Parts: sequence; C-alpha cells; structure tokens
Amino acid sequence: MTAAATLAKNRYVPAALGVLSFVVFIALIELLIRVGVINRFIVPMPSDIIAAFPRVIMEEEVLHRFLLTAGEAFSASILVTIFGVAGGVLLHRYNLLRLATETWVAAVAAAPLVLMYPLYLVIFGRSALTIVMMGFTAGLAPIILKTLEGLMGTRRVLINVGRSFNLTRSQQFWKILFPAALPTIFVGLRLGLIFSLINIVGVEFLINFGGLGQLINELAERYDLPGTYAAICFVILVSVCVFIIMERLERWLRPVD
Amino acid sequence: MAAVTVPLGRVDAGAPRVTPAQTGSEQAILVVDDIVKRFETPDGVLTAVDHVSLSVSPGEFVGIIGPSGCGKSTLFNVIGGLLDGYEGTVRVAGERVRGPHASIGMIFQEESTFPWRNVIDNVAFPLEIAGLPKAERYDRARHFVKLVGLDGFERRYPAELSGGMRQRVSMARTLAAQPKILLMDEPFASLDEQTRLLLGDKVLQIQQELKQTTLLITHNITEAVQLSDRILVMTYRPGKVKRMVEIKLPRPRTSEIVSSEAFGRYVAQIWGDLREEAGRGMEDEEARKLREGEHR
Amino acid sequence: MAETGRLTLPASRPFGVPVSPVTALRIAIIVAVVVVWEIVSASGWLYRDVVPSLVAIGKALYVTLADPTFYFHLYTTFYEIGIAMVIGGVSGLAVGILLGGSKFMSRAYEAYLYYLGPCPKIIFFPIMIMWFGVGPGSKVAMGAISCFFPVALNVAGGMREIDKVLIKVGRSFRANTWQMVTKIYLPAMRHPVINGVRLGLGVALIGTLLAETKLSNRGIGFLVIQAYSIFNMPQMYALLIILFVIAIGANTLIGRVGGLDDIKRT
Repeated sequence: MTAAATLAKNRYVPAALGVLSFVVFIALIELLIRVGVINRFIVPMPSDIIAAFPRVIMEEEVLHRFLLTAGEAFSASILVTIFGVAGGVLLHRYNLLRLATETWVAAVAAAPLVLMYPLYLVIFGRSALTIVMMGFTAGLAPIILKTLEGLMGTRRVLINVGRSFNLTRSQQFWKILFPAALPTIFVGLRLGLIFSLINIVGVEFLINFGGLGQLINELAERYDLPGTYAAICFVILVSVCVFIIMERLERWLRPVD
Repeated sequence: MAAVTVPLGRVDAGAPRVTPAQTGSEQAILVVDDIVKRFETPDGVLTAVDHVSLSVSPGEFVGIIGPSGCGKSTLFNVIGGLLDGYEGTVRVAGERVRGPHASIGMIFQEESTFPWRNVIDNVAFPLEIAGLPKAERYDRARHFVKLVGLDGFERRYPAELSGGMRQRVSMARTLAAQPKILLMDEPFASLDEQTRLLLGDKVLQIQQELKQTTLLITHNITEAVQLSDRILVMTYRPGKVKRMVEIKLPRPRTSEIVSSEAFGRYVAQIWGDLREEAGRGMEDEEARKLREGEHR
Repeated sequence: MAETGRLTLPASRPFGVPVSPVTALRIAIIVAVVVVWEIVSASGWLYRDVVPSLVAIGKALYVTLADPTFYFHLYTTFYEIGIAMVIGGVSGLAVGILLGGSKFMSRAYEAYLYYLGPCPKIIFFPIMIMWFGVGPGSKVAMGAISCFFPVALNVAGGMREIDKVLIKVGRSFRANTWQMVTKIYLPAMRHPVINGVRLGLGVALIGTLLAETKLSNRGIGFLVIQAYSIFNMPQMYALLIILFVIAIGANTLIGRVGGLDDIKRT
C-alpha cells in the first residue's frame, strides 16, 4: 500500500489534521489582523482573546455564572426527561390519545416557542424559574415524539417473543419495549437537550439575567471584544462538555451497539 | 420422454489453471488471468482470491460456485472493475479492464433498484448516464422491460413490486446497457425458492435469446447446474479453483432435465466437492466470532 | 347508516352526526382548553392581561392582519429567513457531502460540527452585529449559521447511510461525479436531507427571530417585543399565533414536498 494510503487509514492522522487545520486557521487570522487586512476592531487578535481568558474567569465570576446556567440546564433536563418520556409512553399506551394529539405535538415541535419568553417573564418573573420553564417547554415535544417513535418502532417479532412467554403488560413494557426503544429515546433526549440549551442561554442573553448568556451580553455592551470572544469560547466549551458527558452516559447505559 | 443419460466429463482438478487454449476453438471474450487479491484486516493479510484463471467464450453461461467466504464476491468485483489492487489481469475482448467497463454489466445480490425512480426510469438509467437522447432511451428501456416480462409496470415504483419483480428490473437495467458480458452475483439470494426457479427459467430464456455471455456467482448448486454450460468450483479461502465441471446437459433445460438422473449426478458431484470446503468455512467463521467476542 | 372504514361509537353522535372517536377527543380537548382559558382570563388569577380573553385575542388578530405595515414586517422576516436558509442550506449540503463521502475528512472535521451544533448560536449575535451591522445582515447571518449545522450533520449522516449497493450500481455504469451526486446521492438521501432542512428551518427561525427581538426595528420578532413593551398582550398573542401557524405550515410543506408522509417524523 502506498505511503499516502497507509497514512489515510491511520486512526490518528485525520484527527491530527483537524486540530492542525484549526491551529493554522487561528494563526492565519492572527497574522491577517496584525498586518491590517482584518480590522482589529471587529475581530480581536486571537492572542488577545487567549489573554482575556484568565481575566474573564476571575473578574466575571465565571464559575458562579456557569453554575447558574448549568443548574438551569440540569433542572430543565430532568423535568423534560421525566415529562417527555412519560408523555411518549402515555401516547403509546393510549392509542386514541395518540391518534388525536400526535400531529399537534409534532406541530408544537416545529414552532419557535422561544418567542413566548416575554409571556413567561410576566408569569414567572425575572428569575431562574422563567429560564428553566423556557428550557422545559422547548425540549418537551421532540422527546415525546422520539419516545413514541422508539416504542412504536419495536420489532413485531420481539413483542411476540414477550407474548409467547406470557409476560404481563408491565413486564412487556420494562423488559422489551423500553430497552428496544432506548436508542431512539436517547436521540430524542439529545435533540430535546439541544433545544433546551438554545433556549436557556438564548433567553439569559435576551433578558440579561445571570448566567453565561448574560455574560456575553454584558461584555459585548461594554465593547470588551476580546472578553466577548473569550466568553463565547467558554460557552462553546461548556456546551461541548455537556454533550460529551451525555454521550459517555449513553454509552455506559448501552454498552454494545 | 426417456430418461436422459449423459456421460459426465470433467477437467481434472490437478490442473487448476485453465489457460485460454484449453477452452476451445472460439476466441475467448473474457480472459481472467491468474488473479490474486489480498486484503489487510486486523487479523493480518487475507488472501481472498488465490491464482484464479478463467476463460469464457462468447455466448457461454459460466457458473461460479463455492462456500460462503470463498472469495467469489471478490472475484465478481475484480472482474467487474469495482476493485483494484490485485495481481493478474482481466481482459474483455482483448482490452484490459481497469475499472468499470462499458462491456461488462453487473447485477448485484442486494436490492439495487432506485426506490425513487419508477421502473422505466430505473431501466433507462444507464442510457441516461451514457447521454442517449430521451426518445431513444425510453424506446430501448421499454424493449428491455418487455424482455423481462414487466410490460405494463413501467410507471410503477419498486416499492409497489415484489422482490422477484425488483430483481427483474435490476436485470433489465443492466441488460439495457447491452454489455458484452453479464456478471451476476447471487441475484436470487434474497428470493424464495419458487420465485428463484421461475426467474432462473426467465434468465435462461433471455440469455439464449440474446446469446448473452454470462457469469453467474451462486451458492445454490441446483441453480448452477440448471443454468450453466460450465461450472467453476472454488475452494474456501484462500479461493482457488477446485474444479471446472462441464455440464453436458441439453438445452433448453426443461423440468424433465432438471429432475433427471444425470442432473442429480452433477449436483451430487459438486456437493461432494463443496461439502468439505463449506465445512471448513463454517468452523473458521465460528472460531473468528469467538475471538472477536473475547476482545471486548 | 353505517359509514365504511370509520369507527363509530354509539354514544358519540352529538347533533345526530356520526363523529370518529379521534375527532371527538380532539374537540373535547380543544373545548376543555378554551373553557379553562376563559375561566383563568376572567378570574384574574394570573396577572391581568397575561391571559386575555379569546375574544380580545381574536380582535387583535383581525386588527393585525388588516394592518398593511404588518405585512412589511412579515416580508422582512421571510426575506431574512429565506436568504439564511439558502446560504446555510447550500453550504451545509456541500460540507455534508464532503464529510459524508470521505471517511478521512469525516474523522478530521466532523467532530467539530457535531459538538458545535448543539451550542446556542445566539451567543454569536454580538459578533454578527459587529460584522454585518444592525440591519437585516446580522439576522440573516444568525439564521444561516443556525441552519448550517443541522443540515451539514444530517447530510453527512445521510451520505453514510446510503445503501452501498446503489453506489456500486452508479459506479458499475460509470457515472461521473456530477451524475453520482445528482442522480444517486441526493435522491438516496432525500429523507435525511429533508429532515435536516426542517430542523434547520426550526433553528433558523429561532435564531433570526431572537436576533430581531434583541436588536432590530423591523420584522416579526421586533413586533412581538414591541407589543410586549407596551404590554399589549392580545396583540402579542395574535402575533405569536400567526407566527406559529406559518412555522408549522412551512414545516409541513417541506415534509410533503420532500415526499415524507406526515409531520410526525422529526
């Protein structure tokens, strides 16, 4: 095999290429700004951004903000998982209900619910509760739909195996339907979490209420460019971590797939 | 009709390499010369095809049979030009094959009709790729749709057809390109026995009508004997030619012939060759699965 | 008086007309919601006007739809989202095909998209404003980057899920690259692509509208926040209703056009 082909098959080369491209890209930006091709008042130098990191972390109580946002996200996730999966199970169990409401739930999933935040502000006040509820509302529909999809998609033959063993309804559900639906449910949870997070950070940003969303807003209003970019990087980092953790969790719960 | 008794003739297994000179007086249309194909796997280097040679005359129907894992699909892909990185050569009408070739048509084992196109559009596909004008495309396509017996179904979609009908569409599609050589890789594998037999008849009928040179890869011995002029029996991995069997049964291969003693003898003989190889294949497969599981 | 193919329970014949149980349940739910709504509205249990009576909302709806300047704002939002979808969609498609088609490229770069995707794009808004100004440009940018990720990821995944045999068929007939893309890859991927576009529309809508509420003087998002700021709740509800109807309609339309059977598939 040629050298190039062997390199291509290596597990680490592509990943290294990805990281390398990123680094080269950053270096290029730095150069272009220093040279003056890119306006430094619109795009701060990467070196400045990196320098801003420690400052932002210490001065802006990033940890405190992070905990706030994370807390909101966590609460919303718990709520939305419980109610979303329960909703899906309910719709699966009661056929009539499902036939009547499934299209409605799908419609809700397609609507930009986030625009209702002023309403929530009025109902729940300018508090973390508003944000949690926004996250909850946004993530609910996709989870219900995916749970339903997973349960309904269980292969007929597996259900028949359960029936041939005379399983009770509850056993049938917990031992066959639910495990079979788990992969799809996880897809739904991920989707729901994405929508929740978008809404949570988004609303924090919009109403200028605590947490990481607000941090970006504030720094931007102060025209602290490097700080703003640093804060954005920070939020990205947090988002990445959340989803990596979610993946690990999923893999731990479903070892072979 | 009296029982058909036909002497069995076969090329001796001691000479696995069949050179062009041995196949007869006609100019061979397909020459597969000493193919060796190896793969790199986590378990080491695997030799899928080990010095296989074959010569096919125009209009011949050659069956290639072997146990699962004997490299027949690899051979299929090599001859068809979908695989490279092998030793040896493949020539069609004297021309070296280096990639998919206009003179070679391939029919795959899996469902391969385009679900988003109706029957006539599926069949017209190769003509579309070749850039034929619309009217001519559809004329030719209609001809081949009729040939496989699906006239009336031109506007239907694959989802509306049975498995056997879909395979017929795939067949019509490949035939529409009018290849010199037709390569089929277990085209009936996904079908039930009865459909398989009926389609086999159809294939034979078409082949005789078009005088189409055909290579059929299969694991079904009865099918191979029913359809082929010659059968190449392969060993388990690494795939070598175990035996080349000439099927001296008259055509058309009616149901009487299929149920005749001579037919049965051919089948028994080939199974005798295959049984040992198939057994080795099964053991090997099980051992591999065991090893894989232990790595976890 | 039996109706073929319909379930008729003997009890559900209000007004002497046979009604399927599904429809009956739906009507029952809607009626229940309306009744509860009106009760909450009239009781003043929640802050005054947070739950305005449906009559008031209906009036506001009528007023809004009759107002010509409303359509100006509607058009602005449409236009912003339309361009955003085109930019985000096309680039997402291209990147998705690239990543899905090559294992190497996928291993090198797809992880970035995968983890960046779920990140709330609104955080980039201040940067977008700096780069594209306070006008429609920044809104389009928000919509485009929101839309890009779901499309790219769905297309990349879709490429990998294409039945390998279909690619072999294309190659065996020696289709060139353009033919492979237009005649095999794209049609084979239509479900993931359509779903990616729907998801993209959903997030582009959110991105653009939020940007409008934050900093704009036109567009539906702006109207919503304007109604809120003068505490004209019926107006706000009316706008939201119109918006949701359009969003749901667009989503269904994309699904139908893409050949999917129903809105149920996320």
